[in-house]
Amino acid sequence: MKRMSVLITAIFAVAAFISFNNVSAKDGLAVGSTLENFKLTDTGGAEKSFNDLKGKNGAVLVFLSVQCPVVKGYDERIVKLAADYQAKGINVIGINSNSTEVADKVKTHATENYKFPVLIDKGNVLADKLGANVTPETFYFNEKNVLVYHGAIDNSRNGENITENFLRAALDSSLGGKAVAKTSANAFGCSIKRLAKN
Amino acid sequence: MTSLQNRRSAETLEKHLAANKYERARKKSQKLFVFVRVCSWLKNSFLPCASAFLVCVVFLSAGNSFAQTRKKTKSIVPAKKTKVAAKNIISNLPKVTQIDAEALKNLIVPNGKPLLINFWATWCVPCREEFPDLVKIGADYKDKIDLITISLDELSEINGDVPKFLAEMKAEMPSYLLKTPSEEAAIAVVSKDWQGALPFTILFNEKGEAVYFKQGKFQTEILRQELEKLATEGHLQK
Repeated sequence: MKRMSVLITAIFAVAAFISFNNVSAKDGLAVGSTLENFKLTDTGGAEKSFNDLKGKNGAVLVFLSVQCPVVKGYDERIVKLAADYQAKGINVIGINSNSTEVADKVKTHATENYKFPVLIDKGNVLADKLGANVTPETFYFNEKNVLVYHGAIDNSRNGENITENFLRAALDSSLGGKAVAKTSANAFGCSIKRLAKN
Repeated sequence: MTSLQNRRSAETLEKHLAANKYERARKKSQKLFVFVRVCSWLKNSFLPCASAFLVCVVFLSAGNSFAQTRKKTKSIVPAKKTKVAAKNIISNLPKVTQIDAEALKNLIVPNGKPLLINFWATWCVPCREEFPDLVKIGADYKDKIDLITISLDELSEINGDVPKFLAEMKAEMPSYLLKTPSEEAAIAVVSKDWQGALPFTILFNEKGEAVYFKQGKFQTEILRQELEKLATEGHLQK
């Protein structure tokens, strides 16, 4: 009995070690998978569902941060992208999963910078579900809630010399009924500050 | 008889009066004596004591003000020293070498020793927090592994915040700043497991195989365990 308990403890310890070491691995939702509807509260405290917020041609979830300078560098482009594609039936929804950023600051930041809703992902539940690790990091779901593209907005953090507009290319292909050539690209930025879990 | 009695009583009265007179004179002289003694005490004891007391008071207050002045001076001296130290740090800033994605490819190939690489930026709070541990690991495994740091700050910081922070950390490892038109491409060069968030730490064995990586702040104990594992497997030079 004693041996058994030692063995079980050892197995758990090894499993915990492996999972800890690979916590930032590419877990989460794979491209081609369907997102189940979810509900989160917005910066005003109202509960909002993904299906209510998405456009007729889908939605882009953008993981944001109040403090991250890389997000700041992208803010203007995110706002422009949101305006450009809202007219085409794709709505941008901001998500803040950082446990270190308080709701008041998230609200102020959203009001000052964005015209689209920002939802607060308390306990980084959505970030875990999707496998989001970076800010800014995007997930584009089409009208059927299928993940079509995941990753960086483009290949330049400060907007200089953009040679690849990953997200816009995916959105345009999808809207044009074409297959998306590049379905993922590494997003560069700040790590999402997850809630410490015991 | 009566006259005799009268004469006696007159004599007694006279004696009595004389005694009174004497007593008054004695008391007067006693008072005078006390007065003289007091004056003499004032002259011989009190005045020297009072003078000594005054001298002491003056001396102590002077000493106190001197001590305060010294204290103030002391507090000024280290400030000057700090300024000098800060100047020294600025004038002896560590060298940070600019690299592009192509140079990065060559840099991540181990050179006969395990290679530990830390990607960071001055604006990244967890990067700054873990840096002292990284410096300590670098010192503890000096000559056994190669440790390099690669900053993803803007190029404008190559002679600014990046070397200043490294100097503050007393970091002696080779330090680079990655300037690339596409971070996405550079990230892919390093590891398929890096999604682009900072900090990112990766440990290659001497064959170039990634044996550990961590996106986000690393845990010192776990990184050290990995290094010890390399040591026990004979990957580290003794």
